Amino acid sequence: MSALLDQLARRQLVWHGDSQQLAYQAVSSGYPELDQQLAGGLPLTGLIDMQSEAGIGELRLLLPYLLQQQQQSQRLLVFIAPPAELSADMLAGAGLDLSQLLIVTPAPERSASKPAGYNTKATQRRAAKKLTPKQEALWAAEQCLQSGCCACVLLWPAAISLAQARRLQLAAEQGAASMVLFRNLSQTLSLPVNLSLSLQADRHGLQITVLKRKGSWPAAPFLVDMQRRWPALCLADAAAEPMRQAG
Amino acid sequence: MALFLYLHFPALQLDHLQQSAENSPQLPIALVDQQHQLMQLNQLALNAGLKLQMGLASAAALCPDLQLLPYRPAQQLKVLNNVAQQLYQLSSDIALDPPAGLFLRLDGMLQLYRGLRPYWQQLSAKLNKLNYRYLYSCGATPYAAKCLAKQQAALISSDTKQLSAALHASPLHATELAEPLQQQMARLGIDTLGQLLAIAPGELARRFDSQLLSYLGRLRGDYYHALDYLQPEPGFSRYLELLYDISDSTVLVRPLEKLLQQLEQQLGRANCQCHQLLLTLFFRDNPPLQLCIGSAQGEYKAAAWLELCQLQLQNLPLPEPVYGLQLDVNRFAGQQRPTEGLFQQQHARMSALQLLSILQARLGSAAVSGLTIQNQHLPEQASQRSLPLVKGDSAKGQAAPAAFALRPAFLLSNPQPLTEPVTISQGPERICADGWQLAAQRDYYIGRNRQGQWLWLYRNARQQWFVHGWFS
Repeated sequence: MSALLDQLARRQLVWHGDSQQLAYQAVSSGYPELDQQLAGGLPLTGLIDMQSEAGIGELRLLLPYLLQQQQQSQRLLVFIAPPAELSADMLAGAGLDLSQLLIVTPAPERSASKPAGYNTKATQRRAAKKLTPKQEALWAAEQCLQSGCCACVLLWPAAISLAQARRLQLAAEQGAASMVLFRNLSQTLSLPVNLSLSLQADRHGLQITVLKRKGSWPAAPFLVDMQRRWPALCLADAAAEPMRQAG
Repeated sequence: MALFLYLHFPALQLDHLQQSAENSPQLPIALVDQQHQLMQLNQLALNAGLKLQMGLASAAALCPDLQLLPYRPAQQLKVLNNVAQQLYQLSSDIALDPPAGLFLRLDGMLQLYRGLRPYWQQLSAKLNKLNYRYLYSCGATPYAAKCLAKQQAALISSDTKQLSAALHASPLHATELAEPLQQQMARLGIDTLGQLLAIAPGELARRFDSQLLSYLGRLRGDYYHALDYLQPEPGFSRYLELLYDISDSTVLVRPLEKLLQQLEQQLGRANCQCHQLLLTLFFRDNPPLQLCIGSAQGEYKAAAWLELCQLQLQNLPLPEPVYGLQLDVNRFAGQQRPTEGLFQQQHARMSALQLLSILQARLGSAAVSGLTIQNQHLPEQASQRSLPLVKGDSAKGQAAPAAFALRPAFLLSNPQPLTEPVTISQGPERICADGWQLAAQRDYYIGRNRQGQWLWLYRNARQQWFVHGWFS
């Protein structure tokens, strides 16, 4: 009996439920709960999809990971199309090296001013050739990932298609870089990524659902406690302090 | 003994023009000057029986499909200068003789090349590669060499007797003498230079002006002939006239590639690289458009520069077709290679500076920036966009300003009025821009709204609430 099983297993005809082989190399995220749930941590390379509201702690969750990525390889961190001005205080306070950081903000669409003597056909052709800011952001992301000199690229895409995500994933593998896509909760399209997380705000930190992880089963949502790291940005127990209301 | 070589290019502008259009249909072409005389002819036009200095009417009668182009001395001078710069790699003393000649002083170079024959071998190989028609000859003086070259003597020798025999036999129309003077000589029965040189200078001085005497003196080598020898240019500047107007900016890449290859050659010879190109596009009606293409790391390879140029040209609308390109490089820098670890696992395809150049070429230099922390009181001034990849103060030995860790990751450039109920968890932190301006003071709070977003709020002196950023 066991000889037969052995034979089958050797020919890879039997699937073991307990062999949790990781499809990617993981590095610690800095949060033990998350590491445990993800069997090691966040992927070293490839795409990470983060679906969350803005401002609930999605960047704070990644800060230890970003710091480690930047320090280990001495490569660049690139922020592409961030939704507002980045604060140097916060990033430097987290220990990131600001001189190894790039911010790419594709310029908003310039109003097409037509000099006299333009013929319309040529203008149309040129308009077709000109990239929109969204396309520019994706182009910049691909260049950064491919270059091999970026550790991690963070992109805030308005929307992203399957084909685009696939391209970015290939570029990330080529340049041994990782990429974080920050998406709204409303975008439910499942992308070909290494890891997809959905974040919910919680009193003590973040409620995380692993939507997809290469080579694993889906698991129940779990809580990442941020009280130790960010005490000021977590609600204490309701009884402890009276809350003031504003607005 | 001094020895000179003269190179005469009979159709420099035309040859240059034809080179840049290799695959255009073969037509007889002639260059015409202001007086409607043929100045330069290509091979097909010569085959049709056309001759230099011919009038337009007879030329058209001989060859009905003759293409005419204007003769431009300024452009020809540029090409001549270009040729001289290329030959400078082989021969040190070169003087321009506009409109179509070069003096090369050889006696200094013979030591280096160990004789005239190896020298000429190298030089002629280079000249053939340039692919301009040329006539040449050696001579004991610059004028002697020129006179012999004009007769297609093709003498490469340092034999004084042979050179002077050839010089004495040369007809007067090969000399620099003016047309009326030549006629005067012909009436006197003087047809060759030998006859003229045989007459004693004193005799000549009585009947002719000093110009003839000074010419003959220089021809013989009695008078010193000052030549303005070429100095190598510090930068690179080439102009390319397009054969047809180009209206699509992506098509411009083809002719540009040629210019870049020339640049690569020059940079390679000098073991240099450059950080910036100035590309000027010429239009017929609009003023020329100048593009500045930069590479933060510095490049010398044509392919790398071409990629950067392509990115910039891709999203460049041309107001009208381009007829000419000019490529300038003002400064060369020494080549530096980045050192990489021998045992590094990942080999980066490019360096950070190269990536930066590519991003800037496509998106514009304003779209790519770094971030620095400033020693400022106001939060919006504390973080500033800066030039990318510039080492901050900490690298220069100064301590960086202490960072507040509890600051929002994102700051709104224009604070928005607060419109929703929030729960305040921390505050206030009073920030006052200038100590005396109490009206501008702000009290900052950290608040959480119903969706669980952490906002950075402030209340101004008039008790109005604003959202200034969010903790991400």
